[in-house]
Amino acid sequence: MSVPDYMQCAEDHQTLLVVVQPIGIVPEESFFRIYKRISAVSLVNVRDSQRVLYIRYRHHYPPENNEWGDFQTHRKVVGLITITECSSAKEWPQTFEKFHLQKETYGSTLYDSRLFVFGLQGDIAEQPRTDVAFYPSYEECETVEKRIEDFIESLFIVLESKRLDRATDKSGDKIPLLCVPFEKKDFVGLDTDSRHYKKRCQGRMRKHVGDLCLQAGMLQDSLVHYHMAVELLRSVNDFLWLGAALEGLCSASVIYHYPGGTGGKAGTRRTQGGSLSAEAGNRHRPGAQEVLIDPGALTSNGINADTSAEIGRAKNCLSPEDIIDKYKEAISYYSKYKNAGVIELEACVKAVRVLAIQKRSMEASEFLQNAVYINLRQLSEEEKIQRYSILSELYECIGFHRKSAFFKRVAAMQCVAPSIPEPGWRACYKLLLETLPGYSLSLDPKDFSQGECLWDSLQLLHVSPTLGSPLFSYKLDFFFLLTPFSLEKKDVTQSLESYTSKCPGTMDVITLPDGLKLPPVPFTKLPIVKSVKLLNLPTSLRPHKMKSLLGQNMTTKSPFIYSPIIAHNRSEERSKKIDFQWVQGDVCEVQLMVYNPMPFELRVENMGLLTAGVEFESLPAALSLPAESGLYPVTLVGVPQTTGQITVNGYHTSVFGVFSDCLLDNLPGVKTNGCTVEVVPALPRLQISTSLPRSAHTLQPPSGDEVSSSVSVQLYNGETQQLIIKLENIGTEPLEKLEVTAKTINNKEKLYGDFLSWNLEETLSQFPLKPGKIATFTVNIKVKLDFSCQENLLQDLNDDGISVSGLSSPFRQVVKPRVETKPLNPPEGSKAGDFSHVKTLEAILNFKYSGGPGHIEGYYRNLSLGLHVEVEPSVFFTRVSTLPATSTRQCHLLLDVFNSTERELTISAKNNQDLILHAGECQRMAIQVDKFSFESFPESPTDGSQFANAKQLEEERQQAKGLEINSKLDIWEASVEGVLNQLVLEHLQLAPLQWDVLVDGKLCDCDIVVDCKVGDPVPLEVKLTNWSKHSVGPFALTVTPYQDYQNGVHNYELQDAITFVGSNTFYIDSVKPTKDSVYFGALLFLYTGDFYLNIKFHEDNCSKDLPLSWFCLPSVHIRAMEPVIQTQL
Amino acid sequence: MAVCIAVIAKENYPLYIRSVPTENELKFHYTVHTSLDVVDEKISAMGKALVDQRELYLGLLYPTEDYKVYGYVTNSKVKFVMVVDSSNTALRDNEIRSMFRKLHNSYTDIMCNPFYNPGDRIHSRAFDNTVTSMMMQVC
Repeated sequence: MSVPDYMQCAEDHQTLLVVVQPIGIVPEESFFRIYKRISAVSLVNVRDSQRVLYIRYRHHYPPENNEWGDFQTHRKVVGLITITECSSAKEWPQTFEKFHLQKETYGSTLYDSRLFVFGLQGDIAEQPRTDVAFYPSYEECETVEKRIEDFIESLFIVLESKRLDRATDKSGDKIPLLCVPFEKKDFVGLDTDSRHYKKRCQGRMRKHVGDLCLQAGMLQDSLVHYHMAVELLRSVNDFLWLGAALEGLCSASVIYHYPGGTGGKAGTRRTQGGSLSAEAGNRHRPGAQEVLIDPGALTSNGINADTSAEIGRAKNCLSPEDIIDKYKEAISYYSKYKNAGVIELEACVKAVRVLAIQKRSMEASEFLQNAVYINLRQLSEEEKIQRYSILSELYECIGFHRKSAFFKRVAAMQCVAPSIPEPGWRACYKLLLETLPGYSLSLDPKDFSQGECLWDSLQLLHVSPTLGSPLFSYKLDFFFLLTPFSLEKKDVTQSLESYTSKCPGTMDVITLPDGLKLPPVPFTKLPIVKSVKLLNLPTSLRPHKMKSLLGQNMTTKSPFIYSPIIAHNRSEERSKKIDFQWVQGDVCEVQLMVYNPMPFELRVENMGLLTAGVEFESLPAALSLPAESGLYPVTLVGVPQTTGQITVNGYHTSVFGVFSDCLLDNLPGVKTNGCTVEVVPALPRLQISTSLPRSAHTLQPPSGDEVSSSVSVQLYNGETQQLIIKLENIGTEPLEKLEVTAKTINNKEKLYGDFLSWNLEETLSQFPLKPGKIATFTVNIKVKLDFSCQENLLQDLNDDGISVSGLSSPFRQVVKPRVETKPLNPPEGSKAGDFSHVKTLEAILNFKYSGGPGHIEGYYRNLSLGLHVEVEPSVFFTRVSTLPATSTRQCHLLLDVFNSTERELTISAKNNQDLILHAGECQRMAIQVDKFSFESFPESPTDGSQFANAKQLEEERQQAKGLEINSKLDIWEASVEGVLNQLVLEHLQLAPLQWDVLVDGKLCDCDIVVDCKVGDPVPLEVKLTNWSKHSVGPFALTVTPYQDYQNGVHNYELQDAITFVGSNTFYIDSVKPTKDSVYFGALLFLYTGDFYLNIKFHEDNCSKDLPLSWFCLPSVHIRAMEPVIQTQL
Repeated sequence: MAVCIAVIAKENYPLYIRSVPTENELKFHYTVHTSLDVVDEKISAMGKALVDQRELYLGLLYPTEDYKVYGYVTNSKVKFVMVVDSSNTALRDNEIRSMFRKLHNSYTDIMCNPFYNPGDRIHSRAFDNTVTSMMMQVC
């Protein structure tokens, strides 16, 4: 006996074995239909007794197992049913012959047999025969069940007779020795007359009768017989049979204790019977009780009286604990015999089933452990698979799911073992699927990531490489990759990849041919996504809402302007919704932080976003993650095609050729900043390009808004440059509106004039800008900075340059405190190339633009251009001084111009010749400028010095614009502010006392020559206008005429040539502010010639407290001529 | 002396597993994994009655041909499983017990680490050393 029946359970001991087999050609389907109907008759209530017969049907039974029939009668084939198909009468004899041949196979043990013939009609079918039944077809065979019942009844009769025969067998001393096949040769030549031998025969026979009783439904009797057999066999140390007797005892007890059955299969078989089984159970039990109650029934049934004589009834049946003990004992006896391996194995299986019912898993596992070690002869692969599967099933029964999965997996592996010529991929796959619960793996992504599955399907690991059939290259195989404890991942993935390339996976539900549905499994861990972050658009593309409507963003309808409760609610809301918007038609980004837990490079292809709410065109990306990478940012992009709320649900990937859709909801531990974002209508896109080079320098604007691009330019101080900005509409919507603002940032320098200026109208005239069109926009950059303050050089050159007046200014110290404290630097040290002198100016040009549907919705975009200007010093006026010009209204401005650049410069000022300056050279130039007046004058020189300074500088700046300096490089302006000090300014000022001298009604100033005639009196008018705030005077003035010989000799002895009409001395009374007073006199020239008038103040005047420059009167040049023509005329 | 030592979380996934003959690591993984059945069984058998005085040491879980598997469960249901070569007869129950106690102490130290997230894999040099010492002791 070599083929174990793993399905055995204790109840099988009470069954009769019937083999159902087809002969000839019978379609498998039809056979099994009939077989099913036959096997439905699994228990038969025998007529006129309360006993129930249990039938076990097999369609295949190895004859060698049949040989053990004496050992345990339920192994004996007692009935044979053959099914055949016979279409014509001619074939009939042949068929019948086959039937007989078939009977021969089990001949020795058969009680009875039946032949079911299908398809045959006619004479032969008409003949009534007991062992043959004819049916016209497989459909028309209503009487099959009836026939079977009859058949079983006939079996019962034989069984009953045998039982009675054996039980009462007292015929002589000779009790035949029953033995198992391998024992036969052991008993050759043994003394058959010894007491020992006889006892052995008796014991074995008693055990056999016990079996028969059990089969015949006489449970109580069988118990008694078994007990006796145990006693007998124990005394003769016949261990094999003792084991069998003990097992029989156990079986009978189990049947008694657990009428519901122990075997899983038996259970299902019974439930097929439905109410019948319950009925049978009920029927069976009272029967057993009856036996217990009425011992007389035993005898009335013809059982030998001595069986029931001695043993107490209570002891007959083993208690549940005893059953296990006895099983253990029996198994230990079996294990003494190598040839009884199958018996031992089956006993183990039965015991486990019993223990499973008793819920004693630990002990059951011991039995199973033992069963694992039972070494049968070389098993075929199929048997191995069967064995492992059954082990797995049994472990499942006792709740050891992991162990069960382990064996199932072993079985699965056996299916595709390399030694098998045709690997059973399908079976393997099916078995593997069954192992999943044991490893707490779920194909349902919802259950994923819980608990034990982290045991990684290391267990499946070794399957994958062998799972060569592309048919099954299913994701399941990849589970092993997902957790950290996997081994040898690398090799596996490589082979897997090659499989999947042949057969790409999909996200569809796969339905295997056998109806098994495989749900799709996304690879949520290849790679592992740690965080999902929706990115805002780049600053330049962000939509902004027009703030035209007040409080538009106040969504609450609350009458309160602010309420902490509402604010709180809103923040909660916001936790899911993001406070920025995406724009329809623009590329939007989502950043995933991924990492590759695998020890090899992971190629993820076709990675894209899964979204809902808005039509979204996802642009897939491919990435390659290095082995065991850290967190790795991946940006997935897509374009929303419509507007509304978009929700990012997840992402899809293609790894190793398998497509997976991973939903964020199913991913544990993913950080996100919210997945819902609003998509606003399309807006135009503006791209700007400028005439200037891009700047490497990035601006750091204070208010948080970013600069999309920045340009830089280098300018000399005072230079003006045009910045031409090309505005290109690169979007798809027309650009309708543009606003430009500028903001200067980080500027600590004092800036003069307009830094940036532009004319927007010109650009706007080109609007609306169609997509793809370009508009230009011009910005003038003008830099004017004060470089003087840092220039040590200037201090050096400038320290006390103003020597025009000997007056000590009271605020000289205030203006130039540095002279004393700073050390002098050599002029060579401050070259123009020294960048410490370079100053920078930064500004941002903001372009607000809008258009298209987004404009209607009130959105605009903001594009900012950073402007970085480096200003280099150009020329300095290191010293400024003034010289009075010939006119009191003008003066000469002396500028010491220093060229701080490295180039040669040409400087041209108005009405002056060009001055060429070499690099680092300093030259003086003189410019004649008009003096100018100040409207207001400081109250007191000390308090208002600062104010006055600023004021004067303001004035001065206007003046400085008059200086146009041409350099070789460009045209630019330089201003002199800063280098001017107080004294210079005083000179530049018009005196508050304005003296006007009119000769002959003509205003005299320097260089103006007044012509007059000799002999005619010339009226002289001196007018004093007081612009100061105090009244001045009285003054005394003396007019002194003189002649200048142009050689430095002035001739004041002119009493002969000029006479005064009236006095040559004027007295002027005090003049009130803003008033004027006029004094008249006259001169009479006696000779022709050039005369000058010098108007002097008398020194004894009380005007010492006023500055001298205030009393500067113009000198008058008069040319007296002969009135010749007139006299001639 | 121990050939494989594993720490298994309450939810029955491995926190730490190491075995000495590295070439056949998978086998030990299986052994440890299947031993969890027995651990579960033993824990449930103990019942809830005497949780406090419960013996943490579970004893021999099951013997295989070459190895013996011992188990230990902390009060927080973290399991320690140790696979010992069955040829090593010198190893007595008491020694196994003390090894488990040592392991438990080391594990407690890990849990005390504020940077360790309970439930994460154990990456600790100190723990590694403890395990190594237990594996090396007698071999």
